[in-house]
Amino acid sequence: MKPLIQPLSQPQPSSAIAPLTHAWLALVALTVISPFLGHWLHGVAWLPVLVATIIGFKGWLIARRFIEIELAHPFIRRVTLAFISITPLALLLTVFFGNQFARWATL
Amino acid sequence: MSTIAIPVAGEIPPAESTGRVPGNKGIWVGITCEFVEFLVLFGVYFVARAHFPESFEHGAERLSQFSGTVITLLMVTSSYFIACSVASMRAGQQRRSLYWLLAGLVVALGYPVAKYFEIQWNLAHGINGESGIFFTVYYYLTFNHLVHATWGILGILWVLARHVVGGYTPDDYAGLEALASYWHATDIIWLIIFPLFYVLA
Repeated sequence: MKPLIQPLSQPQPSSAIAPLTHAWLALVALTVISPFLGHWLHGVAWLPVLVATIIGFKGWLIARRFIEIELAHPFIRRVTLAFISITPLALLLTVFFGNQFARWATL
Repeated sequence: MSTIAIPVAGEIPPAESTGRVPGNKGIWVGITCEFVEFLVLFGVYFVARAHFPESFEHGAERLSQFSGTVITLLMVTSSYFIACSVASMRAGQQRRSLYWLLAGLVVALGYPVAKYFEIQWNLAHGINGESGIFFTVYYYLTFNHLVHATWGILGILWVLARHVVGGYTPDDYAGLEALASYWHATDIIWLIIFPLFYVLA
């Protein structure tokens, strides 16, 4: 049975549209600018760092605003945040330590 | 005579802090499996990239960045519309929630259409699964994502049908939120695929 009064410390899922709209606008802006960044910064050493940061930020936006990960069960929170974090880190490792990684991954 | 204290069920403190499960536990089992599957596929991508860096640096230049950008915009927009559907349901606006979900479906259907035109464009420019390691990995990963997105679109259709007949209320919308969680997870995966293949040249 649901308690009649919810504890004040327990945040509730949001029914507001505005935070979702702000997140969507940020996602659209980052998406539209990404191909131009690829052209403008072609060959620049830190382009992968920027791309990895954008991947992580976009994933975090979806997780925080759309899935509301901060209210979710710890297992769901950990799984989602781990998935969002692993790929940008793997990208940086591959770009900056590609030779070592290739040797390590050779059968 | 000794006495034994038997704890009352309500006095047992929780072993771990709990949070809510967006949707239901079943969908999060599926989403976790989906994440693990794509982590393996991304592992293949990074191993191939480490072995053939030149192929990956030049491969992105040959793909249609326009198609990749359009698919990304379709994914984030449909994800946004479905998130709005859940938020409207929580606010007690069931009809508005239905319209948001319908908009999410229409935009989501643009993904397979855009993918069809992208493949036509690829073939017209001599890009197929045997055009090199970059394109083999590209087709493998993006087709896999398309399969997952197709399941999501079928899910949207099912949830939409239930929504139309009043299957969800502000007190019980777990099915709608489960679908939304799956679609957001599929969106996150595409947001990783997009820069790996279309941006990083």
